[in-house]
Amino acid sequence: MSSSYEEIREAAELAAAPRRAPERPLLRVDLSTSSIAAEADRLWEALVPLCAERGVDLIRVGTLGLSWLQPVVELERPGAGAVVYGPVPPAEAAEFLDAALSADPAEAAARWLIGARTPEAGVPSLDAHPFWAPQERRLMRSMGVIDPESLDDAIAEGAYEALDRAIGMEPMAICDLVLAAGVGGRGGGGFPAGQKWKFLLGAPGPTKYLVCNADEGDPGAFVNRVLMESDPHLVIEGMAIAGKATGAEYGFIYIRDEYPLAIARMELALVQARERGLLGEDILGSDFSFDLEITRGAGSYVCGEETGLIASVEGLRGMPKIRPPFPAQKGVFAEPSNVNNTETYANVPLIVRRGADWYRQHGTESDPGTKMFSISGALVRPGILEVPFGMGMDELLLGCGGGPPEGREPKGIQPGGPLGGLLPASDLRLKLERPPFTERGVLLGSGGLILFDDRASAVDLTKYFSEFCEDESCGRCTTCHGGSQRLVEVLERILHGDGRAEDLERIGVIDQTLQNANCLHGQFTPYAVRGLVNYFRSELDVHIEQRRDPALAAPGLTRYLVTDPHSAELAGARPLCPTGAIVDRAAPPADHAAEEGERAEIEPAGLTIDDARCIRCDVCRELAPQAVRVVDRFLAPLEAV
Amino acid sequence: MERFAGLLGQLPREQGQMLRALHLAQEELGWISRDAIRLIARHLRVSEAQVYGPATFYAEFRHSPPPQTLVTWCSGPSCRVVGGDRIRRIFEAEFGCRLGENTADDALGLWLGQCNGTCERAPMVWVNGRVVGPLTMVDTVRLARRLKDGEDPIDWPEQPIKIAPATFTGAEEVYGSAHAAELDGAAR
Ligand SMILES: Cc1cc2nc3c(=O)[nH]c(=O)nc-3n(C[C@H](O)[C@H](O)[C@H](O)COP(=O)(O)O)c2cc1C
Ligand code: FES
Repeated sequence: MSSSYEEIREAAELAAAPRRAPERPLLRVDLSTSSIAAEADRLWEALVPLCAERGVDLIRVGTLGLSWLQPVVELERPGAGAVVYGPVPPAEAAEFLDAALSADPAEAAARWLIGARTPEAGVPSLDAHPFWAPQERRLMRSMGVIDPESLDDAIAEGAYEALDRAIGMEPMAICDLVLAAGVGGRGGGGFPAGQKWKFLLGAPGPTKYLVCNADEGDPGAFVNRVLMESDPHLVIEGMAIAGKATGAEYGFIYIRDEYPLAIARMELALVQARERGLLGEDILGSDFSFDLEITRGAGSYVCGEETGLIASVEGLRGMPKIRPPFPAQKGVFAEPSNVNNTETYANVPLIVRRGADWYRQHGTESDPGTKMFSISGALVRPGILEVPFGMGMDELLLGCGGGPPEGREPKGIQPGGPLGGLLPASDLRLKLERPPFTERGVLLGSGGLILFDDRASAVDLTKYFSEFCEDESCGRCTTCHGGSQRLVEVLERILHGDGRAEDLERIGVIDQTLQNANCLHGQFTPYAVRGLVNYFRSELDVHIEQRRDPALAAPGLTRYLVTDPHSAELAGARPLCPTGAIVDRAAPPADHAAEEGERAEIEPAGLTIDDARCIRCDVCRELAPQAVRVVDRFLAPLEAV
Repeated sequence: MERFAGLLGQLPREQGQMLRALHLAQEELGWISRDAIRLIARHLRVSEAQVYGPATFYAEFRHSPPPQTLVTWCSGPSCRVVGGDRIRRIFEAEFGCRLGENTADDALGLWLGQCNGTCERAPMVWVNGRVVGPLTMVDTVRLARRLKDGEDPIDWPEQPIKIAPATFTGAEEVYGSAHAAELDGAAR
């Protein structure tokens, strides 16, 4: 006998009460991939006995998004607010806990204090924090607050309420609602989700499949990972509603294998939902049945492309196919299917619960709603956050992210992954919605934004993206794998000082040729190099014409030069040089030496760097910044002194 | 191999199980051997070529035994803009092997990794799955040498990523004992 949603909700609220309105101090520990990278798992182990001794309840939560302050924890005390702290290294666990539990945590725990998420007297509010203030947390509302491994906690916050409502709706009405909200595909394309669902709804049954694209292959993008790690039930609920709306009874969640924690939490969430009658046969006592399974990826970027993804779900090589047929016509196992990004699905429960008008209160005409962005690169405050579409990129990267470190200048932005292209720093003024990006010939993409500063070489970065595209080309069409290979060769040559005047033209030809590639992977591969040519032209010209890299970063165009052969620091660096390139300077010529034999003993010739062995790893300059300089390989004199 | 064969036998005989079967082989045997391919082909009732295809298409599947200590170098852009490529050159020089290879004695390996979004630790590597970063270049040389000496610079946990149990009530009570076990399995 299955229970109604109200009964389930009531039971869940009861079970979750100790975490929602704690009667004892409650410590929430961020346990997500980013915090575990900062040893949050060890912090957890240290906290277990400490909390038990002090009568503090300890729970794991997902992430608030403050990645640069990891490990982050939050202490909520009965009758007071929830205060966020970080970083709390494992070694400081006891000291921290006592300070935070004291009468005046703002004073005693000041060195860990970030801000109060809910008001607490005497503690500055998180709302005043530059990273937090401009955010509009809808998808992220429960993230970092609820235990992602507890279904009770999720339901008590309203999970599956929208599913309950959707089950009572006509499929077409759900599609219309999602269409009216205007939620666009978050995988980068921005295609209206409601429209795509209508295609599937109209497709002949009985078997239809849903696919959740959690392949998130764009380096620097980790929106989907955070969603699945911090609030897995939101994704599952969204897919179940999509099932009801399209007539699909089964779905696949395709998660890249680089996300083991997300896979584990999603697996667990599926088990929990099934057990509670929220997935499976006759959900919540209705005649609607829906179930899901997880497919683990295996490290292939093109599998993020929807037809490649489908091939991969089928157990084949993940090679994209030419569309049409579109997935709604012929998808997984040749049945009609619908592929959406994880974040696209996650928006749906909110729309069903709050309505299309509510959804459109934020965002822009072309892109309604909010968007999660993962920001990284040369930033003081890298992390993950959710803001309304239409916000200025400068507000996000310089305001929230704090811009590059002291003394550095923003040089450019890399939006939308390897296929997204490059933008100069002057484009920081662009609004975060699709049209202005498309107009500039780049893609806003799936939410990853990387800022780079004057230390980075735009040519080197372009070569990296081209190399990535070459590596990840599925190999089906020669246009793509041959074209990207050629592109890498040309860029590689330029980066070694062998650029030629006709290279620009050659890049143009490769770009044009790639437009004939089978799938978007090949067609978008030249976006990066196009960005280089359009927006970093003078830097590229200097590389080709003067054989030098103004950023002094490219190993093929730079040389390490000793400016102080007798530096003690340089002598100290000698044993650390990985290739033994720090060597004695050549002794003076023999006849000379005979005369000066005595002097040479008193004043040794000093040290120099053997250019043939030097791998430009920077170890010597890190240790002896006064004694070593990076210079242009082809222009500077061989010896400085 | 026997254990792998047993576990493989529990998978449905469907083409759709291919990736699962390959993952299973890699987890059980450390790499995808020729024998594993044969077993999978027989179980899924496809030709060996149909297994070999996906086994070589996906970057994650290895075709030689893994090293004892694996350094996975993050190739991602956030790492790159703050000196990531230098880290690769240092490891290559110190280990005496190229990216994607093991040292001659298979004690150490340097493999390419993709960004998993821990970019705030850039530039970084994973050592046996554990993030180490942000690294200075001097740190990198020291790390490489300690690994070469067979030392554990950090006492690595058993599993690359662990899921901590809930302690306020105990995992069993929250998830039911069956699920606690499942969670354990999933974590692996
Ligand atoms: C090479 C390539 C890689 C892609 N990678 C992803 C990805 O990792 N995640 C994703 O959601 N979409 C990715 N896409 C877009 C998908 O093909 C597809 O448009 C998307 O999953 C549809 O979902 P949406 O409408 O909800 O955005 C990629 C596209 C291409 C061409
Ligand atoms: S680029 Fe290295 S972790 Fe993201």
